[in-house]
Amino acid sequence: MKLKMGVNIGGLALKNPVMTASGTFGYGEEYSDYLDLNRLGAVIVKGLSLEPREGNSPPRIIETASGMLNAVGLQNVGVRAFINDKLPWLRRTDSSIVTNIFGETIEDYVKVAEILNDAEGVAAIEVNISCPNVKRGGIAFGSDPVLAAEVTRAVKDVSRLPVIVKLTPNVTDITEIARAAEAAGADALSLINTITGMSVDIEKRVPHLKNVTGGLSGPAIKPVALRMVWEVVKEVSIPVIGIGGIMNARDVLEFLIVGAKAVQVGTANFLNPGVTADIIDDMERYLSEKGINDINDLIGTLKI
Amino acid sequence: MVLKASASFRESIPGQFVMVRMKDCNVPFLSRPFSIYSVHSRAGDTFIEIMYKVAGKGTEAFSRLREGDILNMLGPLGRGFDVHSECSQIILIAGGVGIAPLSFLAERYRKDTASAEIICYMGAGSSEALVGLDRIEEMCSVVKISTDDGSRGYSGLITELFERDMGLYSDNKSRIYSCGPNPMLRGLYELLKNRPFSCQVSLEERMACGIGACLGCVVKTKSGVAGGGLVRVCKEGPVFDINRVEFSEDNGY
Repeated sequence: MKLKMGVNIGGLALKNPVMTASGTFGYGEEYSDYLDLNRLGAVIVKGLSLEPREGNSPPRIIETASGMLNAVGLQNVGVRAFINDKLPWLRRTDSSIVTNIFGETIEDYVKVAEILNDAEGVAAIEVNISCPNVKRGGIAFGSDPVLAAEVTRAVKDVSRLPVIVKLTPNVTDITEIARAAEAAGADALSLINTITGMSVDIEKRVPHLKNVTGGLSGPAIKPVALRMVWEVVKEVSIPVIGIGGIMNARDVLEFLIVGAKAVQVGTANFLNPGVTADIIDDMERYLSEKGINDINDLIGTLKI
Repeated sequence: MVLKASASFRESIPGQFVMVRMKDCNVPFLSRPFSIYSVHSRAGDTFIEIMYKVAGKGTEAFSRLREGDILNMLGPLGRGFDVHSECSQIILIAGGVGIAPLSFLAERYRKDTASAEIICYMGAGSSEALVGLDRIEEMCSVVKISTDDGSRGYSGLITELFERDMGLYSDNKSRIYSCGPNPMLRGLYELLKNRPFSCQVSLEERMACGIGACLGCVVKTKSGVAGGGLVRVCKEGPVFDINRVEFSEDNGY
């Protein structure tokens, strides 16, 4: 019997639940020498803003225990250059293409979403709400349920595509933000973004990152991510995508068992650019061995 | 360290690098970039040699490896040095383990342009740190040495030693190649900035992926120069024309 690996994420049909996390996979092309992109459930590209961004000054990354901190600062080519220069190449794959978007004002998000309405081959939008809202004193959209709902609704109102809202873990209660985004019309949620952290050079007594703080990713954050996905799944009825420290198929299965309908692989792509294909192979082997014919039968089967 | 590699590494260009990671182990977590020191084939197998100095968690872990251990390696990566077969004089300026890609380059020049004169300026902290000296001496007509502690050769910076000799070289005959610590490269930039020498440098930055995706290794290049702005050391580099790099404190130099 043929194994069914397909999942549906709020109107976005994926051939399998494995996607690449935004910011860890460039615009896809960077990986084409090392991976058959057609294997992936979806490619999620580097976060796009209305205008190109240079990002932060170096140093931008530092290794930490079982992970890394980054303060790249959302460097990207801008949404128009993405559509003109990057998307035509990426469209040749038959994996779904998801564009991650961000802005500093609600108007920015809306404009980027509107521009993407006319882009052929884009299957969904993922909204990064971890950015500071410059019009509201720099408070992150994603750390306030009212702002999170506002940006979600604004993007939903203009977009013709399924809208995934990507949540930040840097909040007291992530379920509150999750509920707010759901009520505002989000088609799905993805979590977690990186956890804010820092690292100091004790010889020079300076931060390792020029930006002082950065986002922690890698296996160090997986237990936190898993706990947050589990909490959110219980509170919302829209699909949840698990992200955080996934290194192998076993990690993916943990997220699916707690209730994530799909996952994103991030930092692991840096260590092994072909890791997602290995993960998909290993997941299929696990399902066959357990006699599970449809991956959906595994999702949310945690016994407590 | 010598690593058995796939046959595709035979095409490696001097200045290119590899990303090396301990297998199935999260300490150290990220892969480490190393310039290729040499490539050779034996009995149908391809071997890559890299040079490292124990400086942190990654290189310390490598120092504990034993013969036969298996590592993950990605490469060859990045843009290497331009080799000009018509060139008659090659000047190499190395700091510490920066000798590795320059030694590979010298080997290539010896093979491709047997008549080219190769001169090497090799600086290190002390005489013990002059690793790779025997090999570079075989390929060069002159090797000039400096050490920070004066234990061998000139006592001081290698760029000072080069500065003294600069009058001997002419910009239309010589090409300069350099690799070493950031302050050394900056010093060299200052020496060369008003002279028309052709000089390529290999830069070193922390990086996570080595293939242009993480954007961790970017450096600023001079705007106004073609292709200015931020560039990725792993993809557009690690080799750049010295005049393209912005040697400022803000850029980590």
